[in-house]
This record gives sequence, C-alpha cells and structure tokens, in this order.
Amino acid sequence: MAWSDIVTIGPFAAAVILAGLVLIVDLVRPNRSGPVIAVSLVGLAAIAGLTVVTGQTDATAFGGSYRVDALTTFLDLLFIAIVALTILFAPDYLAPRGLPTAEFTVILLFALTGAMLISASADLLVLFIGLELMVIPGYLLAGYHKSDGFSTEGAIKYFLLGSFSSAIFLFGLAFVWGLTGSTRIDEVALRLGEIVSGASTLSPGLAMGLAFLTTGVAFKIAAVPFHYWTPDAYQGSPTPVTGYLSVGPKIGAFALILRLFVEALASVTDEWLIVIVILAATTMTLGNLVALTQNNVKRMLAYSSIAHTGYMLVGLAAYAAGREEGLEGLLYYGAAYSFMNLGAFAVIAALQKRAGVTSSLDTFAGLGRREPLLGILMTLFLLSLTGIPPTAGFFGKAYVILAAVQAGGAVGILAVIAVLNAAAAAFYYLRVVVYMFMREPQSDEAAPKHGRLLWGGLWVATALTILLGLIPGPLLEIVGDAARALG
Amino acid sequence: MNVSDIPILTLVTFVPLVGAILIALSPERGARPLALGTAIVTWVLSLFLVLGFSPGRGGLFQYVEVASWIPAFGIQYKLGVDGLSLVLVVLTTTLSWISILASFGPIRTRIKEYMISFLILELGMIGVFVALDTFLFYIFWEVVLVPMYLIIGIWGGANRIYATIKFVLYTLVGSLLMLVAILAVAFAFQAAHGGDWTGAFDYEALRGFAGTSGFAEGLQLFAFAAFFLAFAIKVPMFPFHTWLPDAHVEAPTAGSVILAGVLLKLGGYGFIRYALPLFPNAAVTFGPLIIVLSLIAIIYGAIVALVQPDLKKLVAYSSVSHMGFVTLGIFIFGEQGMQGAILQMVNHGLITGALFLLVGVIYERTHDRTIAKMGGLAERTPVYAAIFGFFLFASAGLPGLSGFVGEFLVLVGSFDFSPLVAFVATFVMILGAAYLLWMFQRVAFGEVSDFLKGLGGHLTDIKPVEILTLAPLGALIVVFGLFPGLLLDLIAGPVASVLDDVARASAIQIALWP
Repeated sequence: MAWSDIVTIGPFAAAVILAGLVLIVDLVRPNRSGPVIAVSLVGLAAIAGLTVVTGQTDATAFGGSYRVDALTTFLDLLFIAIVALTILFAPDYLAPRGLPTAEFTVILLFALTGAMLISASADLLVLFIGLELMVIPGYLLAGYHKSDGFSTEGAIKYFLLGSFSSAIFLFGLAFVWGLTGSTRIDEVALRLGEIVSGASTLSPGLAMGLAFLTTGVAFKIAAVPFHYWTPDAYQGSPTPVTGYLSVGPKIGAFALILRLFVEALASVTDEWLIVIVILAATTMTLGNLVALTQNNVKRMLAYSSIAHTGYMLVGLAAYAAGREEGLEGLLYYGAAYSFMNLGAFAVIAALQKRAGVTSSLDTFAGLGRREPLLGILMTLFLLSLTGIPPTAGFFGKAYVILAAVQAGGAVGILAVIAVLNAAAAAFYYLRVVVYMFMREPQSDEAAPKHGRLLWGGLWVATALTILLGLIPGPLLEIVGDAARALG
Repeated sequence: MNVSDIPILTLVTFVPLVGAILIALSPERGARPLALGTAIVTWVLSLFLVLGFSPGRGGLFQYVEVASWIPAFGIQYKLGVDGLSLVLVVLTTTLSWISILASFGPIRTRIKEYMISFLILELGMIGVFVALDTFLFYIFWEVVLVPMYLIIGIWGGANRIYATIKFVLYTLVGSLLMLVAILAVAFAFQAAHGGDWTGAFDYEALRGFAGTSGFAEGLQLFAFAAFFLAFAIKVPMFPFHTWLPDAHVEAPTAGSVILAGVLLKLGGYGFIRYALPLFPNAAVTFGPLIIVLSLIAIIYGAIVALVQPDLKKLVAYSSVSHMGFVTLGIFIFGEQGMQGAILQMVNHGLITGALFLLVGVIYERTHDRTIAKMGGLAERTPVYAAIFGFFLFASAGLPGLSGFVGEFLVLVGSFDFSPLVAFVATFVMILGAAYLLWMFQRVAFGEVSDFLKGLGGHLTDIKPVEILTLAPLGALIVVFGLFPGLLLDLIAGPVASVLDDVARASAIQIALWP
C-alpha cells in the first residue's frame, strides 16, 4: 500500500471516517441532533472538496482495483449532494415521531460509502462490495419506523427482493469470471472482446451471465417487470427515506450499470441494446400508467420514479446504439431527477410534520392557501418532473430525447414513446397541483412551523432545479467529461 | 448608448416578468394597478417597435438580438421580428392590457396569483412570436401552458378542472412531439454540417438550409407531422378542436379573450413561421388533406354553432369555423390566401376577443349564458345591445369592418386555387351570418324574457369601464376594415418570402383540384 493509494481513495476513506465520527459524536452528546447534523454537513462539505481536489487527475489504487476518473468525481459529488439534502430534510419528519436522527445519519453515511465505492470500482468484486454496502443501509432505513407496520412490511419486501437480486447478480458475475478468468474490469472487457470477436453467436455461458446480470441490475433500478418491490417499499418508508431511496440507490445502480455494462461488457453492446430498448419502453409506459391511478402521492411518486428509470434507460439505449450523447443525457437526467425528486419528497415530508398525517392526495387539498410557498415549490418540482421548461427536468428529458433521435431506428421510436409518456405523466403530476390550488383545505388547522434546515434544503433543491434548466452549460461540460472517461 | 442598442425585444418580452415579480412582493391591493401598469408599459414598448420598424425590408428580421446560451449545442438566445410577428406581438400586448382591465370586476379572489399568472402568460405569448431559435421557441411555447392551466383551473367555472386538464393534455401531446421534431431537425442540420452544432437551432440558419439543400423527405414528413399536430391542436383544427369549447366555457372572461385572441394564433403563426418554410415538400404533400380538414372545420364549426344553447359555446364554435379560414388560407399556398389568413388571425383576435368580453358583461349581471333565457336586451340595455350588434356584424364579415377583409382575401385566394373550395367556403360565410344574427335576434329583440325581468335592477346597462375595454377593439376593427393596407404592408414581405421558399423547394402545381 503506497501513499498514492491513500491519496486516491481519500474521499472514500474520509466518508468512512465521517460515519464513524458521527457515531462518536452521538455517544458523547446522546439524543441531540444538532451536533450530529452539524458534523455530518461540515464533513460532507469537506469530502466534496476533497473529491474535487483528488478528481483533478485520473488515478488508480490498490493494483488497479480502485479508480478515480471524471465519472467517479461527478457521481461522488452527486451522491454527496443527495445525502446532504436528505440529512437536511429528515429531522423535521423524524423528531415528531420520536425517531433518532443520529442513527439515521450514520446509516445514510454508510450508504454513501457504498455508492462511492461503486463509482470508483475498477474490479467486479469491489463493485459488488460497493453495491451491498449501498443497499444494506437502505434496508435498514426502509424499516426505520419500527413501530409502523407499513414501514416494516416495506423493509422486508425490499430486503427479500433486494438480496435475491443481489444473489442473481453475483451469479451472473460468476459466469463472467468463469469465462474471462479475471475480475479486473479492463481485463474482462479485453477478454470478452476476444471471445466475442471470433464467434457469430454468444456462447451459452456468456448469454446466461448476461441474463443474470441484467436481471439483477433491473431489480436494483426498478425496471419493469422487476419493479414490484418499489411501491410498497417507497410507500411504507418514512418519507425522507423514500426520497433518498428513490434517488440514491437508483443513481448508484446506474453507476453500476456504467461500470459494468458500459465498460466491462462493452463488447457485447449489440446483444444488450435490444434488451435495454424493451426495458426502457415497458418501464416508462407501465410506470406512468399505474401512476395515473394512484391516490397516495408517495405511491404515485414511487411509480413515477419507475417511469423516470425508463427515461434514463432511453439515454442508455442511445449510448448502446452508438451515441455518446446518450451517456451524457443519462448523467444529466440523473442529476436533474435527483434534485427535483428530493425536493418533491421534502415537501411531502414537511406536510407530514404532524405524526399521523398521511400522504394521500387529500393532504394536499388547499395547500396553496394554507402554505403558499410550499405549494409553489411543490408545483415547481412537479412541473420539472413533468418536463416543462425552463426546469432541470425539461432539459434532462430534451437531452435524452436528443440522443435517442440521433441514434435513430428502434431507439428513435423510444424517443416518441418517451414524449407520449411525458404527456400522460402530466395528468398525475398536475392532479397534485389541482388539489393544492383548486380545492379548498380540508381542515383549518394552523400550518406547522418548518425547521430552518428543511427550508435551506428546499431552497437548494429549488435553485438547482431552476438553474439546471436555465443555464445547463456548466453541468453539460461536467457530464461530457464524465461520459468521455468511459470512452 | 445609441437608441438602437437598447434590447427592446427583450424589454417587451420580459417587462411582464418584472411586473409579476413586483406583484409577488407587494400586498394584495397593489396587484391590480401594478398588473395594469405593467401591461400598459409593455403595450407602449410594443408600439415603439412599430414606429421603428421598416416594412420595406420585406421578410428580413429586425431588432435582432443574439446571445449564446447553451454553446455545446449552438442554442442561442435569439430574438427578432418581421412584419408577421410584429403584428401578432402588438395584438398580444393590446389584448393583454384589455383583458387585465376586464378582470378587475370578475376576479375577486386570489387577485395576486391571477395577475402574476396573467403576466407570465403574456411573457410566454410574446416570447413565442419573437423567438428566432427553435429551442427558445419551444420553451416559450410551453411557458404559455402553465399560467393558462392555472387561470382556467383556479378562476374558471364549475367544470373547470376537467376543462383545464383536457386543455393541458391535448396541448402537451402535440408540443412534446414537436420537441422531438425540433431535436431531430437540429440533429439533421448538425449531421449535414459535419457534426458542427452551430446554427442547428437557429431559425434563419435552418431556413437557409431548408431553402437550399433541404431536409430529407422522410425527416420532413415526420417533422411536419409533429409540428402540424402541435399547431393543429392549438388552432384548433378539426378533429383536434374538442378541448376548445370546454376550455372557453370554463375559463374566466379574460382567459377566454386571451385564449381566442392570442393562443389560437400561436398555431397559425407556427404554420407560417416554421412548418411551411422548414418542410416545404411535406407541406405541399399534406396540403390537400389540411385543406379538407379546414373546410370541414369551417362547415362543422358553423353548423354546431347554430345549435348551441350557450352564448359562450356559440362564440367558441364560431372560432373553430373562423380559424378554419386561417388554415385554409395558409395551405392554398397563394399570396392572397396567406395574407388573408394573417388578417383573419388579427381580426378574429380583435372581434372574438370583444365578443367574449361582451358575453362576460352579460354573465356578470345574469350569472347565466343560456340564449333561451335572454330576450329583449335591446329594450333593457340598449347601449349594450348596440355594441353587441356591432361586433356580431364584424364577426359575420360585414364589408367595411375588418372581419370582411380577411375572409374575402381567403375566398379570392381559394377561388384561384379551386372554385369548388371557394364555393363551399362562401356558403359557410352565409351560414356564419345566420347563426350570429339569429342568436342576436333571440337575445336582443322580442319581449323581455321572464328571466331578465326577474333580475330587476341588477340588469344594468354596460358600464364606462367596460366600454373602455371594448372601444379600442371596435376602433381597430373599423380602422383595419377601411384601411387593411396598414396591415398588408407589414405582412406582405414575410408572406412573399415564405411562399418563395415553398415554391422554390417544391415547384407546386396550383390546380391540383377541379
């Protein structure tokens, strides 16, 4: 282990240390959320700074199993932002329900380390460890509200299907290892290239491996028809957790796709293109159609998050069809989706400040009158999720569609399916707006006071949602660099 | 700083946004004067545009402003006007302040939010007309959607939520497909220029490309179909019109005025500005189909209007019929036809806007719009009935008023194109006079109905402030009726250049039809 290795893994190591540090802070000052949150936020800011600094130069560590490039940096910063926003949103929801903030924060920070490991993995084993490190805290978080039956139910479903899919995924990795004799991503790519170049058809072993890997990953990103765990897990989880689950692990799983499918399995692109196209089409369409009928906003957003997975898959399909813009679009969409979706969940969490308030549509009735500012911000997030300009969601969608149009053929048809879906999605997103602004409040209770942290987080999400739509230039350059790193 | 350096188009477009922000920051009672003030400032600025405009420069764009926006894709913040967009910008700014003034009475709840929505709506509409970058155009196009959705959905009638969601969904389906087409066209341009994105969204560059090498046939057909759908829904053409009566009936008066006066024109403008010059071959291919659809819309709108029991619905369906003349005039690909179509757009904006205001006036007093319940308004409210009659005659196309000129030019143009088409359209003009005058007869003449008697003293005649909203429209209708040359001078250049492009690209056969 050389000194350079330590420097290279610096941000990851710092995240692990931060998680430990927060645990200690909680031991020293038990049952106080202030110090915990302060330490975590300062720590996250420091890690972000460290990520930017170390990300200036590409490097590998530990004999080439850990790697830092522009993609790693971009994804790490996105994960850090997601976790930081979640930490800002959580206390307002957790405190009234008597749920401790410190453990929540620690679990979240451990999930962050897993996600960072995925984005930096240059080895299939590291990749898998990162995956598990990211999703296991997710199971804990889903069941964080122990006394709530729905939370427990959701957590168990999430856990069972999650570990099941992890096993399938691992099985697929075993096939790849068996065929190539290596777990290093670059070597796997090289050997697979040799294997595929001579053969006219895929060997049964490779086909099996691909099938298992695809299935495992499709579970993680909640692509249809592997999405069944999502609605229950999302609806049952405490709302800030749902917000996190709908973006963090999803972006993490896409990071895994980029490292595994785009890099390691690059030589079999043609084989998985058609799979991705079908997955994208069914995921968008089914996610949206089912979301249309939901009366619970959390559940509706769960299905809508499935649909958003579909839009991101359109970008992936465009890449598989030979357009690098597809990857850029996917990354841009990922960032845009994270902020607008987190923002929307933060508003739901704020509404549920009083324990016992459900997330049904009725909760939103007359919000525009009771709490106009929250209503306006929610409208902004919903418009962005719909893809109305000038918001981040619009530009993300336009970018993905542009890539799909460029790719042409079957992927071009995906572009048309995507926009028709976006129009259908407008119905259920705007239904919330109808409840907020066009119906009278159900009760005349005074609005609860929301914490400053929540407002701070909301303003950050709002600013990003608008800026990424109005001035997409800077982020375009960053995702461009990140996509080229995969090359 | 030179006067010509002032970015006046940016000012005209974004002054409403400044007003909206000011209203948001000020107390509720400031909302009305601030909104009216903003709209009038915008209007005055747009009149300066007219003063400094030189019609002699034909189809060229003036007051052009360019700034790089998303350099990676060559997307620009590019604004500019030619005669066509100028006319429509002024129509928009005029109807905007009139509508805001007309909302003072009827809108009594959430005034702040209403005025903010209205000003953002104005921003979007002006933006659509002045944008010279397809991406920017699309953004303004969508910006229009949200405030209109709120205006119908919050301040509308009983069935407003159904109407507003229908409006949004129809419009979104069309516009999102248009987005795909915009991106596909940009990509084709980029591919043809060796992967360079410069100009891929620039309207003038795209149009230059369409006029020289042209887009591939397949792309043209797809892109035209997508643009067509977006614009046809907005116009609305038969069979995409079903959202319109619902939206009109449920919208508050000012919403109806803007909807009929400006929003429908976005579609006609889109055809002339984008669909025709960018995809001329596809436009010619689709032309006959669109002419048939236009004729159906003209006939169908008139027949359905004839049997409407509700005043507002009658005016709404008459819009379908009148806008049919617009699409007919555009797609016969003749100078007179297209000039007539543009005049018809302006006149329809003025006249139908006024009719909706008038329906609003009577609704304010009676809370009813059923034709059968009215009768004898001429006796009870003589001034109102006289004004109503004036605008109805204008709508029916009485010579000397502006409604006549547009329809007449379209008819002349279509006669050159095909006597059969002209015959059908002329026949419907008679039908148009029939449903409007029959309605007027039932509402204004005869015995005073029991319903109106029951209202007693509530049924007052039209108030000065209401006349103030109608007077400018009436004056313009007379002026444009007597001196249509004022408008024709402005639009002749753009029309000729669009038709040149179409003719050059496709060498069309004029006498396709018997």
